[in-house]
Amino acid sequence: MEQKPKPYMNPYLAGFLLGLVLLAAFFITGRGLGASGAAKSVVIETIGRISPEYADSHPFYASFFATGDGRPMKNWLVYLTMGVLGGAFFSGFMSGRAGFAIDKGPRISNVKRLIFAGLGGILFGMGAQFGRGCTSGAALSGMAVLSTAGFLTMMAIFGTGFVIAYFFRKLWINA
Amino acid sequence: MGPLIPQGFVNPDLNLFFAFVIGLGFGYVLEQGGFSNSRKLAGVFYGYDFVVLRVFFTAAITAAIGLLLFSYMGWVSYDLLYVNPTFLWSALVGGVIMGFGFILGGFCPGTSMVAAVIGKIDAMVFVLGLMIGVFIFGSFYEDFLPLYTGENLGSIFIFDTLGMSRDWFVFLLVLVALAAFIVTRKIEDKVNGLESKSGLFAPLYVGPVLIMLAAAIVVLWLPESPRAKWFEADAETVLHEAAEGKQFVQTEELAYKLLNPKENDYMLVDVRGDEAFAEFTLPGAVHIPADKVLDLGYNKLLSESKKPVLFFGFSDTDASQAWMSLRRAGLEDVFVLKGGLNQFFETIFFSENQVNTYQEMPVFEARFIERAREAFQSGEAAEKINVKAKPVTTIVEMEAPPAGQGGC
Repeated sequence: MEQKPKPYMNPYLAGFLLGLVLLAAFFITGRGLGASGAAKSVVIETIGRISPEYADSHPFYASFFATGDGRPMKNWLVYLTMGVLGGAFFSGFMSGRAGFAIDKGPRISNVKRLIFAGLGGILFGMGAQFGRGCTSGAALSGMAVLSTAGFLTMMAIFGTGFVIAYFFRKLWINA
Repeated sequence: MGPLIPQGFVNPDLNLFFAFVIGLGFGYVLEQGGFSNSRKLAGVFYGYDFVVLRVFFTAAITAAIGLLLFSYMGWVSYDLLYVNPTFLWSALVGGVIMGFGFILGGFCPGTSMVAAVIGKIDAMVFVLGLMIGVFIFGSFYEDFLPLYTGENLGSIFIFDTLGMSRDWFVFLLVLVALAAFIVTRKIEDKVNGLESKSGLFAPLYVGPVLIMLAAAIVVLWLPESPRAKWFEADAETVLHEAAEGKQFVQTEELAYKLLNPKENDYMLVDVRGDEAFAEFTLPGAVHIPADKVLDLGYNKLLSESKKPVLFFGFSDTDASQAWMSLRRAGLEDVFVLKGGLNQFFETIFFSENQVNTYQEMPVFEARFIERAREAFQSGEAAEKINVKAKPVTTIVEMEAPPAGQGGC
């Protein structure tokens, strides 16, 4: 039953198309792409639902409910992310890549992989707040408008990655 | 004309719809590019797969050059684009933390969502982690504030930071990217134990390489955009012109042009308030309050007008102020109706004086005024002038992104 997945797109073509999507985003809305913002909206909405008192008393959440219409989910980045999910599912499904799986290096167990994935997510979630955006929102969109922040964040992310890669090699490679 | 939504060309309510459509493209391309596989993503750090670098660099360069060309063509106004502000330490610290997150987790937020939706369990856990991370940041928000909001350098550009011209920077960026593509290809082949054969010059790569180089060279050697030539007229010149009364158009001239619409080459601009405009105005006039002529949308309308712009108000005070602003902003063909509507009506409708006032005037002008008076008073003019006045479509000002809040 398992179909052989189709090969991935030529990376340069994918990059070019991604560039056009980014350009379209700037042309239509004046701002770039983003992904971590949706996670933030979900957190804020959840906290606001569970404990409105906590949200009101806490500046990180309160500022969100005070400005805007107090509806963190009716947000540009949330709708963008819904589109991302739709587009990615369509692509994965059509290319025979949809299905439960865990991608990992050859030397670690599934459980270990999931633990590290969770840790990585936590770090990325925090880092994206400091960086005022993640790889797409701060680095990629920032580079497209040639902002200093975009290039700084990009270099910090990948620079750190290269520096520490050696120490975490067991997660990903045989060496 | 662009960006469309901040300038009010598109209903802001459609904003979210566009977000969804753009997201569809974003998600599709990321998944097709192989970003739904954490092993492929992490490959960039270990040299066995550089897909991240290829896609990322190509996309950034495509969009950057695209924006420059769009702005050159006048399709997009660079001033209205959101340029993420540089909070120096926060950006660096955030980047370092994200670097750790990338190595440990094998994803970044966008790619984790792409992977999670097609069933990658590691990605689902990563997404959960993301939210926990945001929550932790929120919990210690006040402690992080000094770092988070410190050393704000504003919305600065990398080429300014490096002290070079924008176009040269983009050109160098393309060269760096091409060099990176060649080197990483070699590294990748070596790490994977493949014989490095044609490398960069395989047919697959010649196309993109040539396109990128060509685009970079085009950017570099484009003649200066006519739009870049708007300059401010210096104050002295403008004051001099004002003193000479060069800006004034006389009542008679306007009356003549109104009666001969074919010869009316003015774009009439009513600078009075909303109520006054609603009550009455000159035929064909558009409405732009005097204090708004420099607002981006209106200013664009005025500066792109092919006709000379003629401002009028009740008197010529407000119109002169509007004229002064635009002249200072470098616009050439701008004029003011001398004496404003009051003098216009005084001369054409109400004046009882006959010959006396005209003594110094050339005879034909006196005759014209008399004819114009007849035409306007008898209603004959009303038949001739059937152009409706139109208020300028309201221009929506760009919502400034709340300070200090991330876009991603």
